[in-house]
Amino acid sequence: MGVGDARPSWSKATPRPRVAGSHLREAALGLVMALPPFVVLLALIVYPAVEAALFSLGQVPTDNVAFSTGMHLIVSKTLTLEVYRQLFASSFFLDDLSITFFVTVLSVVLVLVISYILALYVRFGVGPLVAVVRSLYLIPLFVPVVIASYALITFYVDHGIVQAVLTHLGLGYAPPIYHRAGIVIGEVWTSIPFAVLLLGSGLDGLPQEMVEAAHDAGAGFFGVLWRIVIPLNVVPAMIVVTFTFIGVLGSFTVPYLIGPNAPQMLGVAMQAYFSSYQQPQPAVAMAMITFLLAAVAGGVYVWATARSGKAL
Amino acid sequence: MSRVSRRHFLQQSTFAAIGVGTATLIAACSGGASTAAPTTAPVAAPTTAATKAAPTTAAAPTAAPTTAAATAATPAPAPTTASAAATVAPAATAAKASGPVTVNYYLSGDVNIRDLWSKSLIPAYQKVQPNVTIAMTFSEHGAGDQTTFDRLAAAKQAGKPSGVDLWETGNYLQQGGQAGLIEKLTDTEIPNLAKVSPTVLGQYNSYGVPYRGSSVVLAYNSKVVTTAPQTLDDVLAWVKANPGQFTYNPPDQGGSGQAFVTRVLMMGMPDSDLNLFQTGYDQSKESEWDKGWTTLKDLAPSIYNKGFYPKGNVPVLQTLGKGSINMAPVWSDQGLSYLAQNLLPPEVKLEQISPPFSGGGAFVGVVADSVQKDAAYAYLNWVLTPDPQTIIINTIDGYPGLDWKYMPPDVQAKFAAVAKDYSFGFSAKFDTDLNQQWYEKVAGTPMPKAP
Repeated sequence: MGVGDARPSWSKATPRPRVAGSHLREAALGLVMALPPFVVLLALIVYPAVEAALFSLGQVPTDNVAFSTGMHLIVSKTLTLEVYRQLFASSFFLDDLSITFFVTVLSVVLVLVISYILALYVRFGVGPLVAVVRSLYLIPLFVPVVIASYALITFYVDHGIVQAVLTHLGLGYAPPIYHRAGIVIGEVWTSIPFAVLLLGSGLDGLPQEMVEAAHDAGAGFFGVLWRIVIPLNVVPAMIVVTFTFIGVLGSFTVPYLIGPNAPQMLGVAMQAYFSSYQQPQPAVAMAMITFLLAAVAGGVYVWATARSGKAL
Repeated sequence: MSRVSRRHFLQQSTFAAIGVGTATLIAACSGGASTAAPTTAPVAAPTTAATKAAPTTAAAPTAAPTTAAATAATPAPAPTTASAAATVAPAATAAKASGPVTVNYYLSGDVNIRDLWSKSLIPAYQKVQPNVTIAMTFSEHGAGDQTTFDRLAAAKQAGKPSGVDLWETGNYLQQGGQAGLIEKLTDTEIPNLAKVSPTVLGQYNSYGVPYRGSSVVLAYNSKVVTTAPQTLDDVLAWVKANPGQFTYNPPDQGGSGQAFVTRVLMMGMPDSDLNLFQTGYDQSKESEWDKGWTTLKDLAPSIYNKGFYPKGNVPVLQTLGKGSINMAPVWSDQGLSYLAQNLLPPEVKLEQISPPFSGGGAFVGVVADSVQKDAAYAYLNWVLTPDPQTIIINTIDGYPGLDWKYMPPDVQAKFAAVAKDYSFGFSAKFDTDLNQQWYEKVAGTPMPKAP
């Protein structure tokens, strides 16, 4: 700040080369500053990821004991998609994949709807209950996932609290725990606070005058919601969708504890292939598939944030 | 002036950044190199993860009450003692001459096993042999076992003592024995080894002393199950006749379920192949499992909660304790300690069927480069005497390492229903295939309808 302002007026005579030079220097400097984390990233993440990708294509590294001692390895001199072909030929894996999609998509939709309602209530609601809700929806953020999963099991499982109440009322009950529905409940529960926070911060940025003006012009609640709130809050909603998608897609604890024995979500299946079946190659291939799916969602996120940068 | 100092600052910070970057790079590289070295060094294929769930998991539940009071000072190994002695290696036998001796004991297992040693067995030995200090290094659930293995391998390459004298662990003893890192033991070094069941000793080819053990047994609620099943067929018949009252854990999530699955799979196998399944690997032989898989799949609708298999030894016990089921395979030591803590109703009885479920010993090996072998042998010989064996039985409800007939009559009476021989599970490689096929062929069949 100080240097530029303090520059005397004669320096305007030779502005161009100076600016270009300092730009270059600053760019180089920035690069150097960013180098250490980049190098670490390269050594600890990119290199192993490339090795893993090649491994899933039939290139078994001899110096990596965790890979080379696996069972039923597919070793090939050239790159091959055999590992993937075998995976997709197995109905066992396709079941895993379909439960992963089912849980992920359903969780994303439910998280978006429930969080939107909560965020709207916290933003526009009046009365003492708003403060209560504002602190209640944050609770899952502070409960470790393992504890939450066990709590859900105790709550919903047979002979649990829900069944006790329903039986008392003379209603039947089929516990969702150890089924797909149970995983969705767990995922939604753990994803809500972050989603509400994101959506809420978006809603807080809405100009109050615009909402009031629309009200004055005769728009009802749903009119305001549909014409003003949702269009202006698209970017946070997209971020919520991508984050929830990536989070649920790769989740382990909730599906491991609450899910059925089989089929398993990809996170659980990967672990089973890697350690229980000692087959690192299909496990790595599944990781690659998960990575590609998450990359698509990541692309949406990048697009959304770029858009929000323009909007700001 | 201010511009000069700014540039100066920028230059300096650039150098600093480069410096940090290089340092990180070097650190990353050298870290990689140093871990790479020992892993390539030892035996060709250390099958890392597949350490069988057997005796270590068996210990899990009893941990709860004792954990808090974990005083167990786990002193750092005292390599100085060992290496100092190493310089006088030829005179190692001098250790016999009652000077103070430190034996470094590496232990992997659950916290109840740590407490068993640190609070009971080692203090008891201190009274017998005040000159011998047992310095214990504990690795919970074997988390540090690969490191210890690498250390032994590296020490052998370097021709120096590793500083580890005794090691209690699982499959690493077998691997280490084959790589010449672990001593093969006979009853000349440890006379009491003669009183140990030779089949148990053979489980790790004599590369360790099986000082305690446990096996999977059948637990049933005697109020509901009035006639105790004696054979596997009895069990299967009862389960089908009483749907929803039996379960076991997936074979990869605990030894009790694994033992049940193994026993069922053995139905279709000729006895002549048993040895191959227990010690070797041949994928083509796995077709002999088909009869067993069909049986288990037939059983699925009769399993608790329309085919739910709790994920672990302890969850199965808890389901039994809640009264949701009335029969299950459980670990003998876990079942006994659950009964002692009233976590299982007193009507629950434990019993070994015939032919028996599998079980296993917990082994302590003597490291080949140890400079305190005589002290180590003497110590292990003492562990195989009735007094410490009784301590083991009383503290963790384990089986004694000694053959049953060498144990006091009251101990024999306490274990009468379960104190029979146990069988052995499959080899690590067969087990991994077993795990996958169980998920594919038993659990992976059409899912119960989601509500």
